[in-house]
Amino acid sequence: MADDQKSIYYTEGLPVPETPPPGEEPQPWEKTDVVGKPLPRVDAYERVSGTAVYPSDVVLPGMLYCAILRCPHPHARVKQVDTTAAEALPGVRAVIGPDTPEADLPWFFRDAKTALFPRTCRFEGEPVAAAAAETPYQAWDAAGAVQVDYEVMPYVADERRALESGSPRVHEGGNKLKTDTYSRGDVEKGFSEADVVLEQHYRTEAEVHTPLELHGCVANWDGDELTVWESTQGVYAVQSKIAGILGLPLSKVRVIGHYLGGGFGSKLRTSRYSIIAAVLARKTGRPVKAFVPREATYLTMGNRPPSNMTLKAGVKNDGTLTALKFSCLGTGGAYPAGGTSLVDWQIRELYLCPNVSTECTDVYINAGPARPFRAPGHPQCSWALEQMMDALAGAIKMDPVGLRLKNVPAYSQGRSGNPPYTTTGLSQCLSEGARKFGWEKARRRTAAKNPDSPIKRGVGMAASIWFVGGGGPPSTVIVKLFSDNSASLNMGASDIGTGTKTIMAMVAAEELGLEPEMIRIEHADTGTTQYATPSGGSKTVPTEAPAVRDAAIQVKRQLLKMAAEEMNLPVEDLRYRGEKIVSRSQPEKEIRITDIEGLQKRGVVMGVGHRGPNPENKTVNPFCVQFCEVEVDTNTGEMRILRFLSTNESGRVMNRLSFDSQVIGGVTMGIGLAATEMRILDTARTGKMVNRNWHDYKLPTSLDVPADIVSAPIEMPDAEANITGAKGLGEPVTIPTAAAVANAVYDATGMRILDSPINPLTLCSVLEQQNKEG
Amino acid sequence: MEQSNSKQERNKRRISRRSFMAGIGAGTVCVAASGHLFAAGDSQAAEKVLESDEMSKIRLHINGRSHQLLVEPRWSLLYVLREKIGLTGSKEGCGRGECGACTVLIDGIPRYACLTLAVEAEGTEITTVEGLMDGEKLGTVQQAFVEEDAFQCGYCTPGQIMSVEGLLRKNPAPSVEEIRTAVSGNLCRCGAYTHIFKAAEKAAESRRK
Amino acid sequence: MTPHFSYVRPGSLKEAIGQLRQNGAVVHAGGTDLLGCLREKIFDVRKVVSLSGLPDLRGVEKVSGGGLRIGALTTITEIAEHPLIQKRYTALAQGASEVASPQLRNQGTIGGNLCQKPRCWYYRGEFHCMRKGGDICYAAGGENQFHCIFGSGGRCYIVHPSDTAPALAALQAQVEITGPQGLRTVPVDDFHALPEDDVERETWLEPNEIVTAVRLPAPPPSLKSSYRKIRARRSWDFALAGAALALELDGDRVVDGRVFLSGAAPVPWRSLSVEEAIRGKVLDDATIVKAADAVVKAARPLEKNKYKLPLFRGMIQEELRRFRENLA
Repeated sequence: MADDQKSIYYTEGLPVPETPPPGEEPQPWEKTDVVGKPLPRVDAYERVSGTAVYPSDVVLPGMLYCAILRCPHPHARVKQVDTTAAEALPGVRAVIGPDTPEADLPWFFRDAKTALFPRTCRFEGEPVAAAAAETPYQAWDAAGAVQVDYEVMPYVADERRALESGSPRVHEGGNKLKTDTYSRGDVEKGFSEADVVLEQHYRTEAEVHTPLELHGCVANWDGDELTVWESTQGVYAVQSKIAGILGLPLSKVRVIGHYLGGGFGSKLRTSRYSIIAAVLARKTGRPVKAFVPREATYLTMGNRPPSNMTLKAGVKNDGTLTALKFSCLGTGGAYPAGGTSLVDWQIRELYLCPNVSTECTDVYINAGPARPFRAPGHPQCSWALEQMMDALAGAIKMDPVGLRLKNVPAYSQGRSGNPPYTTTGLSQCLSEGARKFGWEKARRRTAAKNPDSPIKRGVGMAASIWFVGGGGPPSTVIVKLFSDNSASLNMGASDIGTGTKTIMAMVAAEELGLEPEMIRIEHADTGTTQYATPSGGSKTVPTEAPAVRDAAIQVKRQLLKMAAEEMNLPVEDLRYRGEKIVSRSQPEKEIRITDIEGLQKRGVVMGVGHRGPNPENKTVNPFCVQFCEVEVDTNTGEMRILRFLSTNESGRVMNRLSFDSQVIGGVTMGIGLAATEMRILDTARTGKMVNRNWHDYKLPTSLDVPADIVSAPIEMPDAEANITGAKGLGEPVTIPTAAAVANAVYDATGMRILDSPINPLTLCSVLEQQNKEG
Repeated sequence: MEQSNSKQERNKRRISRRSFMAGIGAGTVCVAASGHLFAAGDSQAAEKVLESDEMSKIRLHINGRSHQLLVEPRWSLLYVLREKIGLTGSKEGCGRGECGACTVLIDGIPRYACLTLAVEAEGTEITTVEGLMDGEKLGTVQQAFVEEDAFQCGYCTPGQIMSVEGLLRKNPAPSVEEIRTAVSGNLCRCGAYTHIFKAAEKAAESRRK
Repeated sequence: MTPHFSYVRPGSLKEAIGQLRQNGAVVHAGGTDLLGCLREKIFDVRKVVSLSGLPDLRGVEKVSGGGLRIGALTTITEIAEHPLIQKRYTALAQGASEVASPQLRNQGTIGGNLCQKPRCWYYRGEFHCMRKGGDICYAAGGENQFHCIFGSGGRCYIVHPSDTAPALAALQAQVEITGPQGLRTVPVDDFHALPEDDVERETWLEPNEIVTAVRLPAPPPSLKSSYRKIRARRSWDFALAGAALALELDGDRVVDGRVFLSGAAPVPWRSLSVEEAIRGKVLDDATIVKAADAVVKAARPLEKNKYKLPLFRGMIQEELRRFRENLA
């Protein structure tokens, strides 16, 4: 190969990390040349050019389009389904329903069993029938022509009324799913020791994920093998569910998930559309594309549960917390779906407190089942806990940041055995964040505000921890080095937009001394890539990146062994230097990787990397503290968010550019919870969702977020967590956001808004009340 | 729509049987002469009605190329771009003009392809994200998006890029506020707005050089 | 999803009107509202009559007497950016600049904006409500956060969604309508129908008529106007509360004024009580507070939209103060 071509594949003289001998763990990276840099994504070209093929872009020859008819009632029995008229329409190739033998399949929400086309629909949107036609327009004509006799049943739409006697029952056994309790110490004793005790009720509204790409898939049979292109966060989870429901061996189901247009937890598992598409595809003998229209995703593709919380807190004048008593009523909708999942975790864990009790009750209502939504339970908990901390600080005349700093634990209080954190940067996030934000100066300025002006400014902050974030085994990654010293990386994990593909390439590039773009990435394909659990829980980087490093090291070990044989030197004497292997004792003796005969003969050297075990008796968690400044027009209740700063401690920063992107993304999403988003059900008459579209269910637009969002990471590579030193980031970034906004609004107006969202509807009435009293 | 079992409702949905061929004489001459069903200035002849259940031939100019295809009157431009022509760069987020993922330029102006009937787009110049490429080289706005990491999942990205492109064609030196307004019809659930503003500024700067 | 329809693009206004004779024939101007309505099957559409073959219907021209004629197919963006409209009919330019989103402003037309269908989520959803021929109004006793505080007639509680209509009404504009009988004009503030008069229609346009232009009179030299829109989000959203003010000023004294509210009633709502409170008066603090209190004096809020009372009050206060500051 010509020299100029060679230089494309590796960088001359790039010192790569030392290769540990077999049996030894690699050392943490000290100085890195690739990892940590703000590199553009390896698939940036594909995404911005429009050439990336997302599952919704897939078009196959002869492909049909699927339309699913959905129950328009929150609770109804499906008495009869007549598909004859639908089948007769032009372009329609198949219509299936509960009477279709091939569609007589079960469906599950956790352990609760129902059917693909259930006879009893327990939430608006459950599938009733489905059609496949030459165009989506014709498929929807068909769906609209299916005649259904419903027996409409009474519904319960508000979780706060679900346990009232006389409330309609979602399931035979009543509307209470469960109550979980936790306690340590003695909260009553704790309250008696406090100088200040406050109690407050809080509510956050249900939120819906609505990633930009619709949920759905394309299903295609090739004989008895099924291939599915699905917009998913986890191809193996989809594979296992489809195989299970259809009774197929896993080897006959292939799921491909390169690219997806967002998930945020709503695409961790598959949904009924993939089974429906597979059945229609088998029936028609043609590929079937089934994407759920936006309106239906509101009803059926998951949500963040609404949380009705009560928090009572006790604090001493010196800032020591003495007791926290928390209760929450939530709902996961019509089926078991984690209506109170993790909502009390930060109460147990975030701040030092010897006396804690929590009680969380999860009830059923006739609404779409919940799905994990970016840090389940945590933003809701923060909304309550961080506003309470703010109130306590005010009551004892302590700075809000100071009160948090007083109560930072070094170990996990919520886990049995109280394992210490491997690293905790919470204190640094608090002090550094406050400094960079100009917290004290801003507080003085808002305290001295102009009483005559109706425009008020205020600042607020909130701290947080994420429940997990350390990842863990199992994970297998394969790195292959080709005879020309280019490489490929094979992993099962999806890149859900967080930039994980790029980070993995950077890890391999760091170890092998290659350019990240020269590493081909194969991922998210059950047919050809390694097993991985769905990308979620902020675990992908801390799980997969160490396996990538391990695989790259395996590659280097093999090449060093080959070189040792060919150079006739002991392997301990040799050093891997990216483009060549060099003797330590006799530096003039070297061999270019591409000249290693063993490599040339084999064509490829393959390293199989595994994710090692997590540290014993310790816990790995990321931390996040956010600060914001708002401006409120007290005449109209209009609120503007002026700036945000986020300090994140997530171990090593793997790629500064995509790290910052996660931060601004999390803040933007948190602004949605704080100010614009809520699911609204027509509780009075029909129980239907009234705002099931993107105008009425409001996501923040470019004009609703500040241009000024600063990401100021606290970088502390965590050598104990894993061999890359990184912790998860995707969820921490959105946990404290809404609470920070609420605290800033309090600072600006003196009004504490206890129910989300904060907008002119809520602020106006509250401010008028204040004006009257003031 | 509430499920209606009435015969009236079913009859409404039945397809009209009127034949497209009825006025074939004048129609075909029209098409042959101008290659365009809607010949401008031909005010004498009544315009041909495109029947609901028939496929009609239209010509669309997309990214400098002319495409002839058969469409139903109700087909959206977005559907035709993605599922018929193979230009999947423009994305479908909602189909109702509430997200911007389908933003294209029509005569240089940003519009939602999902709210544009394919038959309405005849006679216009349509530009999609693919049309900003220079062969295989990225256009200036696309390049700026890469450098500023102005995307995450990438699904809203082509729409954002088209809105920025439309802005810069009209206003080569926009302020931050003007940029923010220009993309205020493009949702990003991943929340990449802050980097999108930076990318737009960078693209404006690089075009000025 | 979108049902079948036939489509025609007439080359003359006469032919367009002829095409509308059929039952179920509707006009396609920009198409932004029509396509949304088709997707939700809100009303029956058999034939779409496109106006895009009528370029004469688009454009802004001065007319003798000093007024302006704006063709019905002029886009919202063109209106928002027109220097003459910005200068002399500021409320209209400001109202237009706050409509929906940039792409929708590029595609939507002034005619369509005046004729658009309501955005009540019951009307737009799978609810057979009174406006669609049913028996009940779901907003009454339901989720009525975004519904009206005036003008319901006890029947229907929509708010009119247009931002340009209140501005045009404040500026005393006329709607020019062409039908089989020829041309007629209707003042904008008479163009929209109250529920008590006909709950199933939004305007007095007949099915075979087309809005062809909007005419603005020459503004008195002392006329200043503005449009303010308050919404939950700063893009796309319709008004929670909005106000178009057109005031003739002599120094800081209001000689005369017209005030029209959006987000308040099923039609652009003329606030005679605010006009009365400021007519002949100097815009001092006392007058402003009186006017703000007056704006919702006769309001009849629903269970969930009581916030509109302080909201309208606060907004009127701010807008009148702004007028006063701009005079200085």
